[in-house]
Amino acid sequence: MADVTTSTTPAARQRRTTKGTLSLGGIAIWIVLFLLIIAPVGCFLSLAVSPHVFHQGPQWFTLKFIRQAFQGYTGQGIFNSLWVSTLVSLLAVSAATTLAWLVHRTNVGARRLWSVCMWLLLLMPTWMMTLGWTDLLQPYGAAHAIGLNTKWLYGEFFGPLGIVIVLTSSALPFAYFIVSAGLQGLGPEFEDAARIHGAGRTRTFATVLPIIAPALLSAIAISFAETMSDFGVAFTLGYHAHFPLATYTLFSAISNFPANFSVAAVIAGVLILLTIPPIALQSVVMRHSKSYAVLSGRTRSPRRREFRRGFRYMTSAGVGLVVFVALGVPIVGALIGSFVQNLGDDTSTGVHFTLSYYAQIIHPSIVDNGLGSPLLLSNQLGLVVASGTGVMAIILARRLIATHGGWSQRFTDIFLLGSVAVPGVVLGVGYIFLYNLSFITHHVFDIYKTLPLLMLGLVASALPGQTRFMAGPVSQIQPSLSEAARVHGASRLRTWRTTNMPLMSRVLVWGWLLTFTKTISELAISQILYPPSQEPASVTIQSYLANFQSGTGTAMTVLTLLEMFGVIVVALGIYRLVTPEGWRRTGFSVVH
Amino acid sequence: MQTNLPTTSALRFRFVTVLAAVSIAALVTLAVPAHAASNPGFVLYSAQGYDHAAVTAFNATNPGFTVTLNDNSTGPLLEQIQAEGDNPKWGALWVDGATAFAQLDQAGLLEKNSVPKVSFNALGAQNVPTDGSYTPTGLTVTGALCYNSAAIKPSQLPTTWAQLAQPQYAGALGMNDPSQSGPTFPLIAGVMDQMGNYKSGSTATAVAAGKKFFGALAKGGLLVSATNGPTLGAMEQGSINMAIVQSSACYGDELNGSFPSIRVKYLNYSIALPSAIGIDAKQPAIVRDDAQKFVDWVMSPAGQKVMQTGDPQGDSLFWPVLNNEQPANKIIPPLSTTNAVTINPYVWGSLEPTVNSWFDHNVVQS
Repeated sequence: MADVTTSTTPAARQRRTTKGTLSLGGIAIWIVLFLLIIAPVGCFLSLAVSPHVFHQGPQWFTLKFIRQAFQGYTGQGIFNSLWVSTLVSLLAVSAATTLAWLVHRTNVGARRLWSVCMWLLLLMPTWMMTLGWTDLLQPYGAAHAIGLNTKWLYGEFFGPLGIVIVLTSSALPFAYFIVSAGLQGLGPEFEDAARIHGAGRTRTFATVLPIIAPALLSAIAISFAETMSDFGVAFTLGYHAHFPLATYTLFSAISNFPANFSVAAVIAGVLILLTIPPIALQSVVMRHSKSYAVLSGRTRSPRRREFRRGFRYMTSAGVGLVVFVALGVPIVGALIGSFVQNLGDDTSTGVHFTLSYYAQIIHPSIVDNGLGSPLLLSNQLGLVVASGTGVMAIILARRLIATHGGWSQRFTDIFLLGSVAVPGVVLGVGYIFLYNLSFITHHVFDIYKTLPLLMLGLVASALPGQTRFMAGPVSQIQPSLSEAARVHGASRLRTWRTTNMPLMSRVLVWGWLLTFTKTISELAISQILYPPSQEPASVTIQSYLANFQSGTGTAMTVLTLLEMFGVIVVALGIYRLVTPEGWRRTGFSVVH
Repeated sequence: MQTNLPTTSALRFRFVTVLAAVSIAALVTLAVPAHAASNPGFVLYSAQGYDHAAVTAFNATNPGFTVTLNDNSTGPLLEQIQAEGDNPKWGALWVDGATAFAQLDQAGLLEKNSVPKVSFNALGAQNVPTDGSYTPTGLTVTGALCYNSAAIKPSQLPTTWAQLAQPQYAGALGMNDPSQSGPTFPLIAGVMDQMGNYKSGSTATAVAAGKKFFGALAKGGLLVSATNGPTLGAMEQGSINMAIVQSSACYGDELNGSFPSIRVKYLNYSIALPSAIGIDAKQPAIVRDDAQKFVDWVMSPAGQKVMQTGDPQGDSLFWPVLNNEQPANKIIPPLSTTNAVTINPYVWGSLEPTVNSWFDHNVVQS
């Protein structure tokens, strides 16, 4: 049984005495958060009631835009986003928990493959999922080419059903990795104890599951916030189905010229506020997180349930079906879209395959606009942003789960998850408002339209999600480990390096890869903040998709995804080479 | 004999060291491009497909400064300009449609008298503003009737805009959403202008006539998609047979082979959509001079040639606005066949938010 640390350690007593005050570290964190997230988003949100602050209207104070935002189309969008996000987060966490349990705790077939598929799913932008589904189901699309009549499904898919399916698929890997990390920190002793006391399999599951409550709540909170902030589905499926979601109505408010930033600011504010209930729930539980501290140096590897052969096959097929629907369908659709010239053409006979779209990557049809340099730049950005975000996320995750309470932690919590719900365009425009202020550019620093500001924006975009990704695993590391090291004279850095790092090395690597790949595919912030003549890959691809060259754009997307997959393979290979074997056996992992 | 074999830890240390060195080397190329201290050059905000080629070709002429490019769709560019406010970073803006330029001009953000002294053709001259605050660099038309020649014969097509609302075309027509597609507001404004026989003064009658027309189209099952891609895709799939969109979108789809049976017909009028370039009046004189040199070059034979070759299946499919220049591709018919009309962007530009909002609520969601 894992130790449960009492609250009478010297460190704990010292923390008690400092409760309510702000340490130097706390101040530094708040300064960083202020510059990265709070100030830019605050600038944007201030327009909701005071457009004149940034010369976006004559009013110094008005409630007019709040009324506007809750009327008609925009009001409907907010309502739709709320119920869709709630439903999706519950569905995603339920499916992810079942999947994680099957993969990590049973002998279901092809376990490594399912974990890899979850990672691939995490990499795929929702707009690409929608593109794939559309290519497959559209009249005279890929399904038609292989003799399947999907007209009836096409109509159903372009509505709330399709929106929920794609968003659940998108949220599934977030939830899966968090729950997996929680499950892996849970040794077999708890299940053994339940079984010894006569519990059946279902009762055992129900008994053990609450122990990973921090991970489950973290998964629900992230799934909810990620769904709230998703734009890809809102812009494609939501728009075509006349089913407005809040992110689309926000985009719609600023897509005219002149843009109505004030209504957009109200919607952004609502998106942030709507994340408070799941945060509050998680905070209440996490505040007692010592009860859930189960990971220690002595945590034993879990034992797998052995299914009988027939049931094992059935379960494996079921998992395969879920993974295929979530991942296989959009990939098949996107691949076909990049190889077929006459997809969706009701006048042609047969399918006309072509490699011309891939040839155009090497010889671009738009002169001087190839993918090479942008992809290199995106990888460099990914390297910097993922490394910076990783370090900051660990620091913030440790603060987030700190048990000594105080307003600093609560606000950190609210701002981080609230920031997950902020669409990238809000952060990007907020950065312009703040970092292009005359006073700042002339008297402090002038970094608008430079790579450093783009990097800061990308870190700000990735940091909240990454912190939540880390929070679950960090919450399960017993403080007794580091306290023992400190008692024996180790410095803070050495304490972390010798106790926490071995236990967290896998999640650190996967977290780094998550940010790296998301940075490469990120568009909203990149297209607003990228320095002139230094286009990231996502901006280049978008220019093709927006310029009647969708085939070439899709081929570039496929190539970029392949390159990202290559980086993952290399990074995991390096991890295997440079880390001691014990690190790879202990602690958290998402792929066995 | 004792050998000094490195330990596993030592090997790992060396590996990590090499890895760190490689990572640092990879980041070295992230250097920010240096600007000439004496002349900072300027940033071109552009949504043109041929802008990369144009900037590369212009910089190769060694003008003594460097043009850098912010290439984006029109929407994000205008968002950035609006958000930058009184501390702008753009030296010149180059996008399709004059309505945005008219609004920028009315806000005092455009340099006056920036139009180069070149020989415009008739339609080009019509699109030059009286104060010379922006320069038309080429011309496409919006409101071209693209149709699927495999699904509908030319003889079955309407010949006037009014006929589009007739029952035989119910459920057969599509167009873009003006909130998502830059060239679509000028299309709607142009139809309002023509339906209401607008001459001058209040636009109320013309707007009402246009609303009545688009309302009738909506009742007839007009399919509104976000942008050219989905609209033409719906036609390819057979959901609709005709679409009123930008001419270059139709020609591009035909040329790149993605929709071989697509053809274009021009009704009793189409709306001229100039690609235009304007210079930021709030920049220092040296930056404005640099931008002016670029505008002059764009309107030169060398600049026009790059425009016509930089994006051969997209934005290069335009009609030149200069005498002695011809379209780049034979697929483009004589401009006179398009029956193009020019709307006054200073009148219609300010109506964009209200018209688009009306369209979204009454046509898109109907």
